[in-house]
Formats: sequence, C-alpha cells, structure tokens
Amino acid sequence: MHILLLLHLTILFVFPPLLLGIIGKTKAFFAGRIGPPLLQPYFDIFKLMHKESVYSVTTNWIFMAAPMVSTAAILAAGTLMPLADFKPPIQFWGDMVLFVYLFALARFVIVLAALDTGSSLEGMGASREATFGCLSEITMFLNLTILALLSRSLSLSEIFLGGLSSSWLQVGPVLILVVVSFFLILLVENSRVPIDDPETHLELTMIHEVIVLDHSGIDLAYVLYGKAVKLFLFASMLVSVIITFRVHDFLIDTAFFFFELIVFAVLIGIVESTMARLRLNKVPYLLFSAFIFSIFGFTVILVRGGH
Amino acid sequence: MALLLISLSILIISSLLILLFCRSKEISACVFLWSLVAACGFGLWSALSVLCQKAMSLPLTGVDFRVHGTIPLGEFYIGIDALSAFFLLLFFILSLAAGIYGYGYLRDYTGQRNTGVHFALYHLLIIVITLVLVAKNAVLFLVAWEIMTFVSYFLITFYNESESVRKAGYLYLISTHVGVFCLLVMFLIMGAQAGSMNFDQMTATQFPLALAALLFMLAFVGFGIKAGFIPFHIWLPHAHPAAPTHISALLSGVVVKLGIYGLMRVMAIVKDFPLWCGVLLLIMAAISGVGGVLYALGQHEIKKLLAYHSIENIGIITLGLGIGMIGHAYHQETVAFIGYAGALLHTFNHAVFKGLLFLSAGSVIHCTHTGDMDHMGGLFKLLPWTGHLFLIGSLSICGLPLFNGFISEWLVYRALLEGVFHLDVFGIIFSSLAIVALALVGGLAALCFTKAFGVIFLGSNKSSEGHQGKEGRLSNIDIKEGDLMLRGPMILLAAICLWGGLFPANMVYFAFQGTQAITGLQIPFVLKEAVINPLLSATRVLSFGGVIFSVLALVRDFLVLHYPVRLTETWSCGYVKLSHRMQYTASSFARPILKIFRSALVFRVEGKISKEYFPAWTSLKSSVKDVSESLLFRPLFYVIKKFSRKLKWIQSGHTQTYILYVFLFLVILLVWKLI
Repeated sequence: MHILLLLHLTILFVFPPLLLGIIGKTKAFFAGRIGPPLLQPYFDIFKLMHKESVYSVTTNWIFMAAPMVSTAAILAAGTLMPLADFKPPIQFWGDMVLFVYLFALARFVIVLAALDTGSSLEGMGASREATFGCLSEITMFLNLTILALLSRSLSLSEIFLGGLSSSWLQVGPVLILVVVSFFLILLVENSRVPIDDPETHLELTMIHEVIVLDHSGIDLAYVLYGKAVKLFLFASMLVSVIITFRVHDFLIDTAFFFFELIVFAVLIGIVESTMARLRLNKVPYLLFSAFIFSIFGFTVILVRGGH
Repeated sequence: MALLLISLSILIISSLLILLFCRSKEISACVFLWSLVAACGFGLWSALSVLCQKAMSLPLTGVDFRVHGTIPLGEFYIGIDALSAFFLLLFFILSLAAGIYGYGYLRDYTGQRNTGVHFALYHLLIIVITLVLVAKNAVLFLVAWEIMTFVSYFLITFYNESESVRKAGYLYLISTHVGVFCLLVMFLIMGAQAGSMNFDQMTATQFPLALAALLFMLAFVGFGIKAGFIPFHIWLPHAHPAAPTHISALLSGVVVKLGIYGLMRVMAIVKDFPLWCGVLLLIMAAISGVGGVLYALGQHEIKKLLAYHSIENIGIITLGLGIGMIGHAYHQETVAFIGYAGALLHTFNHAVFKGLLFLSAGSVIHCTHTGDMDHMGGLFKLLPWTGHLFLIGSLSICGLPLFNGFISEWLVYRALLEGVFHLDVFGIIFSSLAIVALALVGGLAALCFTKAFGVIFLGSNKSSEGHQGKEGRLSNIDIKEGDLMLRGPMILLAAICLWGGLFPANMVYFAFQGTQAITGLQIPFVLKEAVINPLLSATRVLSFGGVIFSVLALVRDFLVLHYPVRLTETWSCGYVKLSHRMQYTASSFARPILKIFRSALVFRVEGKISKEYFPAWTSLKSSVKDVSESLLFRPLFYVIKKFSRKLKWIQSGHTQTYILYVFLFLVILLVWKLI
C-alpha cells in the first residue's frame, strides 16, 4: 500500500513537465521544425534554478512566497486526485470542494504577487487572471456536481475510480457535454491557445505570462513547475472522465493511463497549432459557452433521470 | 445564567460609573476598558458552558431567569439555549475586540464630543444585544430590539458634524423601523396562536402551514432588513462607512447577524414551513450573495466595499439556512442539519474576519486620512502589522483553505451537495443553482479581495507623487503603526481565523449544538462524525501542502544563498519615465468583471475618455449605482412622499384639533364596543 502511495506521489512530482515537452514537440512538428527535446521543460526548470534572481525594490515577501505557496497548493490538490488505478493518498467525502479551492488559493497568491510589483502590465494580467478564474470556477463546480450526481459520490477518488463506469452507456450525451466543457476550462485555466499564448512575450495581450513578468531564477522555476502540475492534474481529470475502462491490472492500467495523457498532450498541441488566439474580449464568451455546455448536460440528467 | 447576569450587572454598574465620571476622559476610559474585559469574560464563560453542555453540572449556571408579571403580556424572562449561546459567543468575542480597539481609537480623540457618553452607550448596546439574544419573551425581545436600534443609531452618528453621517443614521433608523413593524405583527400572530408571548409556549404550539408561510414572510422582511438582504440592504452601505471603525465592526459582525438570529429563532419556534419558503430564501440568498459582491467590486471606498461584502456573506449564510429549510421540508434531516450548521458557523466566522477587516481598514484610514483605495498603495511596508492582519482577513473571507472561512463554506457546499443527492428533481435544480451561485460568490470575493489588498497595500503609493523617494517609499508623510490597544484586538481575531481553519472540530461541534436548538432534534453521532472527519482529512492535505512548502522554501533559501541576487526597479518594458500613478487602480482592476456583468449593474460615468492624439486635460469618474436604491426605493419613497403630502392637512399643528382627534377616536371605540 505504501509503495503505491509513493508511486502516486512520484508520478505527481516527476511526470508533469513532460506534458509540456510533448505539447512543444507537437507544435514544432506542425511548424515543420524539429523543436526542442522532449525533456526541455526539465532542462528549463533546472537552468532557472541556477540563474541569478532579480527582485524589484517595490516587492515584499509576498512576491517571493507566492510561487512556493501556489506550487505547494497545487501539489496538495494532487494528493486528492486519483491517477490511473492508484487511489490518492488522501480522500474524503467532499474533497472536490477542497480540490477546487486549493487552485483558487494558488491563483489568489499569484495575483497578489503580480500586484506586489506595482507594474501596470502585471496589474492588467492579474485582473484578467482573476476575472477568468472566477468564471471558470463556476463551470468547474457545476461539472463536478454533475459527475457527483452520476457517480453518487462527493469524493474525487470514488468519482474517477469506477464511479462513472456505467454512465457512458446510460447518459453518454451528458458526459460528452461535460468533457467539452471541461476541455474549455482546461484551456482557460492553463492559459493555452486560444485563450492565451504561452509562447508570446508581448505584455499587452497576455494573461498568465504577464503575471510572472518580474519573477526570475528559482521563483520562475517554481511557477513553471506549478503550471505543469496544474496542467497534468486537469488533464488526468479529463482523461479519467473520458476513459473509465480499467482492467485492474496495475501495470497495464498505468501504461494505458500514460498513453492517454500523451495522446491528450498531443491533442492540446494540435489545438494550439491550428487555432489562432482569441481576442481578449471574446474570452468571456468562451467561458460562458463552457458554462452553457455544462448547464445542458445538467438538464439532460434531470430529464433522463440519471440521478 | 448566573454568569451572564453577573456580566450584565457589571455592564450596568460600569455604564453608570462612566456617565458619572464622563467629565474626566481618563477615568471613564479606564472604567470602560476594565469593565468591558470583565463583562465579556463572564459572558464568554457562560456561553461556552452552555455550548459544552456543562450547564447542569456547574452550580452557578441555572438555565432560566424570570421575573413574573412585569408588564402586560410581557415579562422579564431570559434563558440561554445553545442557539443563544452560539450567538453570545461570537458577540462577546467581537464586542471585546471592537471595544478595546475603540478605547485605543478614541484615546487620542481631541474633538468636541464626549467620549464618556460614547463608551456608556457602547455598554448599553452590549446589554440590549445580550437581552435580544437571550430573551424568551416576545415583548422583551421587541423592547430590547427597539432600544438596540436607538443605541446603535447614536453610536453610528458619532461624527454627526458631517451631513452624510446624519443622513446615513436617519436611513438606518427609518429602515429598521419598517422592520420592527413586521416583527410586531409577526409576534402578535404567534402570541395569539400560542396564547402566550413566551417563546416556550410558542415552540410547543403547532402552526398551520398557511399561517407559517405568513409568519415566514413577515420574519423575512422584518429580519431581512436588519440582515441586509438585497433589496432591503440600502441602509447598510451608508451606515457602515459613516460609523467610527469599531462601531462598523460591531455593526457588521453582530447587529446585522441579529437578523439571522431572528430568522433562526423563528425557525426554532415555527418548525414546519411550506417548501416554497425555503426556495424563496435560497433565491434571495443567491441574489444577495452575488449582488453584494458585485457591488463591492464597484466600490472605491474601503469601508463601503466591506459593507457590501457583509451583504455577500449574509447571502452565504442564508444559502445554508435556505437549504436547511428545504431539507427540513423534504424531511431530509441530513441536509437540514448540515445546512443550518453551515449557516451558524459562517455567521461566527464572518463576525470574526469581518471584524478583523473593519478594524484593520480603520487603522489604514486612521493613518492615511482617506478611505479612497485609489489613493493608497504600498502600505505593506509602512504598516506591516495592519497589512499582515488584513491579508489574513482577506484570505479568510475568500474561503481559502487554511482559514476559517473555508470550513464554513465547505459545510454550506456539503449541505447543497447532499441536497443534490437526497432531494427530488425540484430540489436538485435549486441546490445545484445554489452551488453555482456559491462558486460564483467565492470567485468574485477572491477577485474583490485581491483588488482590495493589492491596491491598498501592494505596489507603490499612488497619492503623493512629489513626496516619493526613489524606492517608492513615502518619505515625509507621517504614517505609523497603531499601538497594542489597536493591534491587540486584531491579533486576537486573526488568531481565531487561523485556529478555526486549522482545528475546525470545536467550532463545528458548537455549530451542531446550535443546530439542535433550531431543529429541536438530536443530531445523530454518525452524522457529526461524517462531517468532522472529512474536515480533519482536509487538514491533513493542508499539512502535506505545508511540508511541500517548507521543502520548496529550503531549496530556494539554499539557491538564493549560492547564486547572485539583484535588487532593481520593476520591469516596465523599457519605458523609463514611469510614474506611480501608472499603476492598476481599484477601478481598473475590477473593470473586466464588471463589464461582463454590465447588464445586471447600473454604471454612472462622469467626464469623458480622451480619444485625441494629444490628449489635453481630462477627468473621469466612474461609479456603480445601487439598483435597489436608485431604481426601487427612491421612486417608492417619492410616491409615498407625494401621497402623504395630500394628507398633510391632518397635521395642522393646533392642539385643539388633536384633542378633537382623540375625542373622535374615543367615540368610535365606544360605538364599536356598544355594537
């Protein structure tokens, strides 16, 4: 049992940056380039750890603590998330609320860190991040409510480990709507194209990149790592909703889970390569459509009586 | 009960003493401080002894105290049940903190007004609020409620040389009086049905459902005005900024909560309500929650922002109450218990963190002499204590993990999610919509408090361009931190916030005690376990996060020691002539979200945005109008005023005419009696 827990934590800690590497490779393929190596995010993080740190004189300790607090909060949220067939280290009735709120905590401190610099550009990014974050949170909660209703459980581990296995047959359309809505939320929360472009460094148009404009060295490394873990958690949540099939063999399940995640990262890469970034004032519409998808899914459950 | 009586008598004697010595500022303040500490100590002891169910074993604590036959229908009959005790707990904690802060705040007050009278009124307010909370007779309750309104009116209008303060006071007085009218009718109906004005008999009486619905509507309006439900909230955002800081803390933490207490008391008396009452409460709660936080986002003035946040939190509390009522109507006791417990716990938590926020906001205003957030900034370095305490308050009010706000919001979420499981389709629809509303409120609150904290404390100061040195510090403005009398109460409240978040079991247990008093049912032990155990697991997740944080911090410390660190100015993308006015302000931070909700809000923009290539002088002033104030109550009062002007001839001002009225009235009564 302890070995499984250790394995869960190891995957949680080590695997996430690889997803970013896969996305980068996919995008390079579409652009006709060879692209950076798959392990580039690891190299980046390692390189940043050895870089000089630059701090603005305007900042306080909040600026330095924020990357650590947010990364710690995201990793703590990871302890509630089942991966492959592993039960998470901690589970309880109602842990999904804590799961979402830990992300909210992470966002809160990062936004404060951005405001700490007193830069108007970072203020702009902070304002956008907080705005979109609060809109995506409602959809997140509605989706989780739907999943809870289908699996009759309030614990992430029960929802994702078998709670939904018969739902695809009974109320498939609902789950499709939930998946679409979750996918949009994932793009917003992890600042991917078409909401935000992680590649550009033009301050005026960005959301997430601009918030961490003043972070450098080890702080930036933490921010990058935290971002990777967040993407990993969202991706594994989505994958667990889509593929509920498990053979209950430890090795096969785990391998299959990783395969799914890799396919998923390729998918994000394809979306990023084929789509242009939305204009910023269109982003709320995207968020509202995610919410509407979720509301439709909810209505279908009520009508079909899947509860 | 004896402990509470001791506490009350200390307050009565000391308020007389204060009045006696009110010429001497030192003596009155000294008496005030020590009697406050003693009285609140005894009060807390009595509340805790009831909540810990040791009331029977202690010799001094009988349960009831009554003096028979004092006035017609009414008698002096008080008693503490768990519901009263729960509110007494939060009330004494907050009045202690706010009182000490008020002592520190008014000590260097050099104006015309007599602070001794203010202190005596503060004691009187504590006495009457205690009476409201422990009254077991409706007449006593109403009398105490009325005195409370008057006393708090005088406390609010401390700075009555300003016209806006007087207006805010009037608004408060008038709107609460409308409420009292509803309460009077409600209690009379209850009394007529029960045959007695005592709460005991009322509780024992069975009310028919139609009557219960009528009583609910009366209670909803009467107590809703006090609690500040939208659209009855109009007095709230005016009264809070007008009052001195410690009074606004008490107003928002306790006086507003008395509306919630009243609703809970009515629920304890009239147990069964029709389903739609709960649904109505839930809808109004969602509107209050989302509306309150949206209005808060539109504010530039810090106390007004906090006042609107009280409306938001009342919304969260009422969501718990509403789902509790719905659960009760469906006979799903699990839902009802958790809902009520969530509401009670959030009441407590809100009192604590809102008190903390008001007090620290008061310190900020005290130092900067302005309430406008857009003129602040960079205060974290100048006021480190206040800054850290405000940060703790902000984290708690946003319901973020580690702090007490999370625990109570989790309970409300849990009740709503249990509602999704246990109710039928109708119930599922409403509880899921309530979940969405609560999630939205949570997200918007986080947005609002990143704005408030960020704009006030972070960045660099926006007001005094000329005074700033190179490092963005204020150099020649005299800003200094308050002393221990101001800081101590805030530290106490902040410690309770953290304690409530890290060790939730005690407070949840107390909230369950209160719930038992509301529902009159024993909560099964299994259910208590099923609520408290997950919270303990949540604490485990947080401690895991804490471990990760310390590891990350250690790694960072190591690396920072071994690799160079450079201090420089904030990166401004190559722009050199950066001014401190070029920061994001409170208005610009909130603009995107307000734009999204523009259809639900009314904006007023004065001045114009310059669109020329070489912009000359221009000014822009934007504000968010309160819809219910400007579109509902203003026209309504206008119509009432127009109508009542036509009846003006009745009030002629001649004494003879009034004697004629009295005579006519007597004749009518006589004729009525004869028929």
